[in-house]
Amino acid sequence: MKKRISFVLNGDRVEADVEPHWTLLKLLRDVFELTGAKEGCGMGECGACTVVVDGKAVVSCLFPVMEVEGREVWTVEGLAERSPEGLHPIQRAFVEKGAVQCGFCTPGMIMSAKALLDENPHPTEEEIKTAISGNICRCTGYVQIIRAIKAAAEGGEDGGVESSR
Amino acid sequence: MKRYDYIKARSVDEAIGLLKEYGPRAMLIAGGTDVMVGVKQGKFSPEVLISLREIEGLNYIKADQGSLKIGALTTHRELERSAVIAERFGALKDAVDNLGSVQIRNVATIGGNICNAAPSADTAPPLLVHDAEVEIKGPGGERRMPLEDFFLGPGKTALSPEEVLLGFSLPWPPEHAASAYWKHSRRQAMDLPILGVAMYLEVELRDPDPLKRAQKEGASVEAQLEALGESDILCREIRLALGVAAPTPIRTKRAEEVLKGQRLTKEGLIELGRVASEEAQPRDTIRGAAWYRREMIRVLPKRLALRCLERIFRREER
Amino acid sequence: MEELRVVGKPVPKKDAYEKATGRAIYIHDLKLPGMLYGKILWSRYPHARIVKIDTSKAERLPGVKAVLTGYNIPEIRFGFYKDNTPLKKGKVYAMRDEVAAVAATDPEIAEEAINLIEVEYEPLPAVFDPEEAMKEGAPLIHEEHGTNVLKLPWKLVCGDVEEAKKGSAHIVEDQFRVTWVTHCCMGTSGCIAHFDPQGNLTFYSITQIPYLAQRDFQEALKALGLGGKKVRIVQTTIGGGFGSKLDTHAYEYIAILLAWKTRRPVKIVFTREEEFKYTSPRQPAIIRISQGCDREGRLTFREVHMILDNGAHTSWGATTPSVMMMPISSLYKVPNVLYTAKCVYTNNTYCQAMRGYGNPQATFAIECSMDQLAEAAGIDPMEFRLINANEPGETTPQGFKVSSCALKECIEEVGKRLGWKEKRGKRNGRGVGMASLIHVGGGARVYKSDGCGTIIKVDDFGKVDVFTGASDIGQGADTVIAQAVAEELGVPVEDVTVIMNDTDVCPWDVGVHASRTTFIACNSALGAARKVKAEIFKLAALVLNEPEDELELKDRTVFSRRDPEKRIDLGKLLRGAHYRSQGKMIMAEYFYDPDTVMLGKDFKGNFSKAYAYGTHGVEVEVDTETGQVKILKYVAAHDVGKAINPMLIEGQIYGGAMMGIGYALTEQMIFVEGDMKNANFLDYKILTAKDVPPMESVLIEPWEEYGPFGAKGIGEPGCVPSAPAIANAIYDAIGVRIKDLPITPEKILKALKEKEGGGA
Repeated sequence: MKKRISFVLNGDRVEADVEPHWTLLKLLRDVFELTGAKEGCGMGECGACTVVVDGKAVVSCLFPVMEVEGREVWTVEGLAERSPEGLHPIQRAFVEKGAVQCGFCTPGMIMSAKALLDENPHPTEEEIKTAISGNICRCTGYVQIIRAIKAAAEGGEDGGVESSR
Repeated sequence: MKRYDYIKARSVDEAIGLLKEYGPRAMLIAGGTDVMVGVKQGKFSPEVLISLREIEGLNYIKADQGSLKIGALTTHRELERSAVIAERFGALKDAVDNLGSVQIRNVATIGGNICNAAPSADTAPPLLVHDAEVEIKGPGGERRMPLEDFFLGPGKTALSPEEVLLGFSLPWPPEHAASAYWKHSRRQAMDLPILGVAMYLEVELRDPDPLKRAQKEGASVEAQLEALGESDILCREIRLALGVAAPTPIRTKRAEEVLKGQRLTKEGLIELGRVASEEAQPRDTIRGAAWYRREMIRVLPKRLALRCLERIFRREER
Repeated sequence: MEELRVVGKPVPKKDAYEKATGRAIYIHDLKLPGMLYGKILWSRYPHARIVKIDTSKAERLPGVKAVLTGYNIPEIRFGFYKDNTPLKKGKVYAMRDEVAAVAATDPEIAEEAINLIEVEYEPLPAVFDPEEAMKEGAPLIHEEHGTNVLKLPWKLVCGDVEEAKKGSAHIVEDQFRVTWVTHCCMGTSGCIAHFDPQGNLTFYSITQIPYLAQRDFQEALKALGLGGKKVRIVQTTIGGGFGSKLDTHAYEYIAILLAWKTRRPVKIVFTREEEFKYTSPRQPAIIRISQGCDREGRLTFREVHMILDNGAHTSWGATTPSVMMMPISSLYKVPNVLYTAKCVYTNNTYCQAMRGYGNPQATFAIECSMDQLAEAAGIDPMEFRLINANEPGETTPQGFKVSSCALKECIEEVGKRLGWKEKRGKRNGRGVGMASLIHVGGGARVYKSDGCGTIIKVDDFGKVDVFTGASDIGQGADTVIAQAVAEELGVPVEDVTVIMNDTDVCPWDVGVHASRTTFIACNSALGAARKVKAEIFKLAALVLNEPEDELELKDRTVFSRRDPEKRIDLGKLLRGAHYRSQGKMIMAEYFYDPDTVMLGKDFKGNFSKAYAYGTHGVEVEVDTETGQVKILKYVAAHDVGKAINPMLIEGQIYGGAMMGIGYALTEQMIFVEGDMKNANFLDYKILTAKDVPPMESVLIEPWEEYGPFGAKGIGEPGCVPSAPAIANAIYDAIGVRIKDLPITPEKILKALKEKEGGGA
């Protein structure tokens, strides 16, 4: 039997009729058609489903849908839509620093980065690594992702992870 | 997807009432990171999940009459950020710093970690070395028991089917005491420990200078142990707990006897490690071999002791 | 040479915007109207006779539209050895064998239906070790073959190894083992099969070989009575490849069969557990190697014999020897080579292509052995490598014509950046090690064709559409092709759109493998772009009244070199050409297929137009009490010819290196009696962001004359030398050599104890 929940999604107040056993991931992908968050493992071990709930990064594949009631949820689509140029600075940094290859882990990475930078605008490299340690990437080797997050941080600079030609 | 109904309890009493009503058809859920995985894997098949998340008054970290109280619904993230935990309960800070991932820590609770009762629960060895007690409420009222007696087997606790864990009580440590936890794992994150070791150390600093100097200079573990031998530090109390070394997290009390009341030396710590490795009953699993676990139990306590001492020295300086 | 505007610049990946805003559509995100969901039932035994399958309960479940078994489908055989069928009949050969499949109106019903299928098995004796499987009396996996050893011709003979042994001053011999690791693409496998009312198939796919898959499926359609019908492959955004999609797989045929049975689109998507257990991983190998050198340290011979666990059926893992020959014969100058490989059936999983395609496995053995030989000869390992380094212009014993080669520079860069001389030889728990690689860098003629087609059309506004047969699997093909065309046509890279991923629209390409895409697809695109440019200049010559050879095209403008005032905006020129009587449309096509040859029956021949080299160096610290290895510094130097996009190249290098470090230290699939026990990200130890060591990437650009703008391939080299570089560094640190991957703390601790205990 479906139950009604109401919450704030990407800045808008919304309602949905849900089955109590659903997860937040299923709600976002199947009902709201926000397919940015991905099911990479379904067990909370890869971070591809990461979204931000009440300011905190969570794995939506393990987030019971009934707990979404009354909360504020942000997804990668919302970040883009609510940014003046249709691209949030974190998203722009990911694009410009080579942090995106196959892109499957990217929405989750970006949301982990968003939660980090909202709380800690000037993270150290270690803090960045910790913030994304629950987001697995097979393509990039993480280096350019870390660079992108550094660049997106207020007045952040590249460097630390060296590269030369 | 497995189907179940989801009911939110607004109070502990309501949760107890729901547990009574639904009996074995129901399970409690807090942060959900263990329960949801268990349901998906078919380990649990509840018809009803009773959520504790809305319950107020179970999320706290507070000093209270000579002890530290931690509410069962406190998330690992909140523990990670707590200054008092970092200051006085270092082992617990070590454990939550590297538990799961940020996403997991944001919702997973310490109550859930303990009630899930995996032998690998990272918060268990730190709570054990701090002589934690658990506070429980059931239809018959409230009761307390030592955490040591709370674990009955892998995934099994002393909670009866209609009881709810309220929180933990840890005696406030004296001045020259500190604790540390070592999570021995293959990766730096998103990992379960091959072995977890926690130590609590309470000392009398008679002549700590040689070790203090060595640590300030960033000396190697070997050099620090030599310096320890040149120092005079008496061990008043020492507690050691292990994770993934037995069917439940355990204290190794025989090993503790080796150094209790003795001067701290490298040889003493080696002996302590040896006795602890024999007290433990590690198994061969796909996550690690028993011989390797025993070997780690043997060699790691030295490093934990040095870490505890480092923390004691740092507090002293402030 | 003129300054390049776009090539050589860190242009952001073209589809990064869609991906970063969550708008890219992967197979998991795609829904078609009326779509059904397919699910597969796998075997419960590693080797068993199928006695009975009862699907009646599943068929009766409301919402179930089709139930298939090996008994109600036509005979379809796939895999190059033709020993595999989509659903098994008669017996199951491995835990990963497909036994039945359903299609239902939603995924939950499909899952329930699978659990209602009752299969009765009669277990048979099984064998999980290839050396056991070769013995007399071992259970036969495919009885009709009469043997567990595959009939494959893997043997390479160059010169005379026996003679060379006599002339060697130093010889070393040893055995190395590498085990199963898997791709771990973040996007799991999946597809949607859809027939139109006339029986033509559209297949939404994540394949890396659209045109070869098209051919495979066309073959399969014949069995359905649909011979002559069309197959269209449409690729969605692909969530990672790394070689996992270079073959066609059982689940794809199953989706096609379900779609035909139900006459509705059928989607199959794997869960992560299914991805780990039921897809084909990297080929393991047991490698015996012996090498020798003369008194001056010059290599005299290299002899390698391998046993490959082929698993229960055959996929590309069985052809990895054809690539392993490359480093065996051509990594360093070694005049005499002997190589044999045996592929043996077992009841284990079977293997596919995975980044490097056998090269990482072979290079692990070769480069560890090189260090052993250097030690025997009393020569520093870096020095030893320089003595034997390949050079530009040489032809290797296997017949490879090496054009550009910067191996020496790579070795020296690594040595310099690691502080080799200062750090080497201390044996105090810290050490340095290095290893090099050779890989194909100019395509690879592993099939009869190594070609790629491009069609370019320019619209009325000067915007360029490039239709290419190449695919993007995250590596950046979409971007480098755009850069190459933009450079040639003098337009901004934003004006170039690369269209790929649809066999109805794009010209033929053999596939995304062998690190060939930049080299082949860009050369193809350049060929078409030059034709387009020539057409544009023909038009402009008339309009500007200037000879064609005086014309230039830059910044969307055609102008005369000798009289720059004579100029016209590109869009205006094109509109003028189009909107008039007997108007013209500018389009060109080009099929680039280099003048390389397939390897002959003796496995010799120049099968790539260029070869890529590189060296990785590592500094490690080993905790001798716990056996744990910490990487203090990792340097990757790559000879890339020319970096068309340095930012994307670095992405390949860092990604490859982290994959290589995982291969060396933490990753392994753990099987018990053919069943994978660590089929999740918690227990399969893929590395996290916190595991990234300090890494330095060095791009060496000697410029490859056959490459587009001088470029060579880079997709695979990044993960090839990591394991031996790390193993060599560990040896330098603590004097023990671990010869089977992964190098876990347990193995190191055990080896240290044996050494202390007076062992070898």
